[in-house]
Amino acid sequence: MFFRRAGISHTRYQQERQLWPLPIDRLTVLAVLAFLIAAPFILDRLYIVSYLLPLIIWSSAALGLNLLMGGAGQIHLGYGAVIGIGAYTAVHMMRAGIPFELAMIGGGLAAGAIGIVFGASALRIKGLYLAMATLAMQYIVDFVIVQFPAISGGSQASLQVPPVSFLGFPIQGDRTPYYVALFICAMITLFMLNVRRTSFGRALVAIREKDYAASIIGVDPFRYKLLAFWVSSFVGGLMGAVLATCYYRAISPDQFHLDLSIQLVAMVIVGGLGSVLGVFFGVSLILFAPILLNQTIALVADTTGLTLPMDLRAHLPLMLYGGLIMGFLLLEPLGLAKIYSNIRNYFLVWPFRHSRQ
Amino acid sequence: MKLTRRKLVAGTALAALATQFPVRMALAQDKQVLFSFPQDFTKIYTFVTSEYSQGQRDYISLVNGRGGINGYKIVAEVSDHANDQPRAIEAYERAKSQGAVLIDPLSTPVARALVPRVLEDKINMITAFSGRSDAADGTVFPYVLPMSPNYWTQAGLLVDYFKQQDGGSLQGKTICFVHIDTPFGKEPLPIFENLAAREGFTFKAFPYTPPGNDQSAIWPQVRRARPDWTVFWGAAVGQTVALTEAVRNGLDMSRVSSSVWLSESDMDVVGRDQTVGVMKVEPCASGRDPKVIQDILAEVVGKGQGAGPEDKVGTSYYNYGVMMAALMLEGVRRATEIAPDGPVTGDWLNAGLTSITDFTAEGLIPPTTVTPEDHQGGGMGRIARWNGEKFEPATDWYQANQDVVWEQIHKYSAEFKATGK
Repeated sequence: MFFRRAGISHTRYQQERQLWPLPIDRLTVLAVLAFLIAAPFILDRLYIVSYLLPLIIWSSAALGLNLLMGGAGQIHLGYGAVIGIGAYTAVHMMRAGIPFELAMIGGGLAAGAIGIVFGASALRIKGLYLAMATLAMQYIVDFVIVQFPAISGGSQASLQVPPVSFLGFPIQGDRTPYYVALFICAMITLFMLNVRRTSFGRALVAIREKDYAASIIGVDPFRYKLLAFWVSSFVGGLMGAVLATCYYRAISPDQFHLDLSIQLVAMVIVGGLGSVLGVFFGVSLILFAPILLNQTIALVADTTGLTLPMDLRAHLPLMLYGGLIMGFLLLEPLGLAKIYSNIRNYFLVWPFRHSRQ
Repeated sequence: MKLTRRKLVAGTALAALATQFPVRMALAQDKQVLFSFPQDFTKIYTFVTSEYSQGQRDYISLVNGRGGINGYKIVAEVSDHANDQPRAIEAYERAKSQGAVLIDPLSTPVARALVPRVLEDKINMITAFSGRSDAADGTVFPYVLPMSPNYWTQAGLLVDYFKQQDGGSLQGKTICFVHIDTPFGKEPLPIFENLAAREGFTFKAFPYTPPGNDQSAIWPQVRRARPDWTVFWGAAVGQTVALTEAVRNGLDMSRVSSSVWLSESDMDVVGRDQTVGVMKVEPCASGRDPKVIQDILAEVVGKGQGAGPEDKVGTSYYNYGVMMAALMLEGVRRATEIAPDGPVTGDWLNAGLTSITDFTAEGLIPPTTVTPEDHQGGGMGRIARWNGEKFEPATDWYQANQDVVWEQIHKYSAEFKATGK
């Protein structure tokens, strides 16, 4: 029906190899893009500044982690610190008068440089041991930021982002930050979609499956593991700069603590390891489920006249949130991306039940 | 019913959509002042939030029950932000859409993150015992109002009290400062250092790693330093652990003190009898004696409209909540006097809040005067000692070392001004 595959025959290899070979997929992408571009004009500003903007920023950052965890199979529990390094570098550069575009790249480079140092431990250790090593990075970076007032910004430990502009548009108000973040998110998403089809992406997959098997077929684990850490840290650092400039507007050390790292790992896992689309779903669930559940409970309590004690009212959403994550992971261990792909597969052959693959 | 994947997905999506319809239901009606209290009920500040919030809501119920303020009703939207900044920003933006004119996040990280937004949107943010201490400078932070003695002032009050106790001089004495190693814990350091130079005492700082549930390595060092006075500075679990270690190391409890963050429930944890004599800074009276608390007991809790368990009424943090609600509502009262017909905006309330003069909340708080320049409200407080049953005031309301405090406030606010927008 809508997703029909019949009658679409590719006559050239380029057509077969497109990012979205089916017209319906291309249409969906275009529709989503059009919606995102038009959103500030059709939605209430509340949805732009406190839902869509964090969604695209967190998704872009999680995409970087997804490349490392889902793509190269290297776990990282210090990704929040990577984002923090990028944010602090960029904000200090902007305060020194360097334009945002360069500061953003600078933040990415600094995060990449430090990230690769800790990533080097992945050359020797794997799995849970690597998790510990990256966890150490998180704590070391936290400690350094807090202990040096020159970095954290004195006893108030809060750094304001000076007024900056992106390609001539001043980043202020509700709409410009959104479009800047959307543009950068689109770039990163395109990169992540394409990287899987390059030799680099395939090398990462080989490393993920078995690193010494990869080295037997000629993929240098040393080079590609470090590259994976570098690219993912660069994206993290870049998004740190965007997060600070477009969303927070003032940064403090507590924004980049372990909580953020765990949150990002959860987003990638719940969304579906290795899936680009899954990251967006995972971010939506982890970021907004607590808010929406709180509102649901409040709404139910208010409309039914139920007087819940405030403590219960605050903790009930947390229980539901935990249940929700467990429910999704139990019912679909491959993540939210798999749920989407199931629905898509169903409609590909609808109204029939199965197709011969 | 069997839980299937389809039901879970559909149910979640439906619930997510359903919550979005009433966004604007609470839009400001006539003669209504909307406050937003997104606070941390579930993560870090839980030890204080539920009591603080209970006090705030009970006081607001008291005033609304008496017919409001010059015809205006106060509506308080309480929600949980779990100390998570995206959630707090969502709550803030939602409150802004609904027309809230005041927000009280009761969280230092959240308050710091919201500063650029409130300054831009002209919404009053209350940062009692949290947020930036330099926000006391109203010329730089017109919409950020601590309205309570900040941490620098609390340190100044303590040093002055030590000096009074030691016969007017601290020459040659040793003050030890045990603090959590975070920006919050390090905040009072410049005040102690400046006063050490001025008063001639030796100052020693002992940082412990957050969250502070093991401080056993620090306190023997404190004992060996032979302090004349010890101040411990932390929050939540760090406070009770610090006090336990102080007791274990045999420090004289009557020469140990903390900031405003010490309450009856901390004493229950450490031991009511072991901690007799320990001091804290009191920004307002504790217990049920003040008239406001009596009124709440009679008119709100007595009628079964209390916001929480009755035995929490009159605890330290409950009274902090009453104190802050009383200051906010006094601001509303002043605003209705200045412009009786509104319109209710952030600026309208700001004019009221910054013209509070010698307000005492019928004896609950020291005389507080907030001006457009001084958002701290004068910096008065008192020292109270634990007597095994309750905190008993050891001094009258007083003010001390405000010159050193304001030196710091101006230093940082000037820095903010130079680099901010």
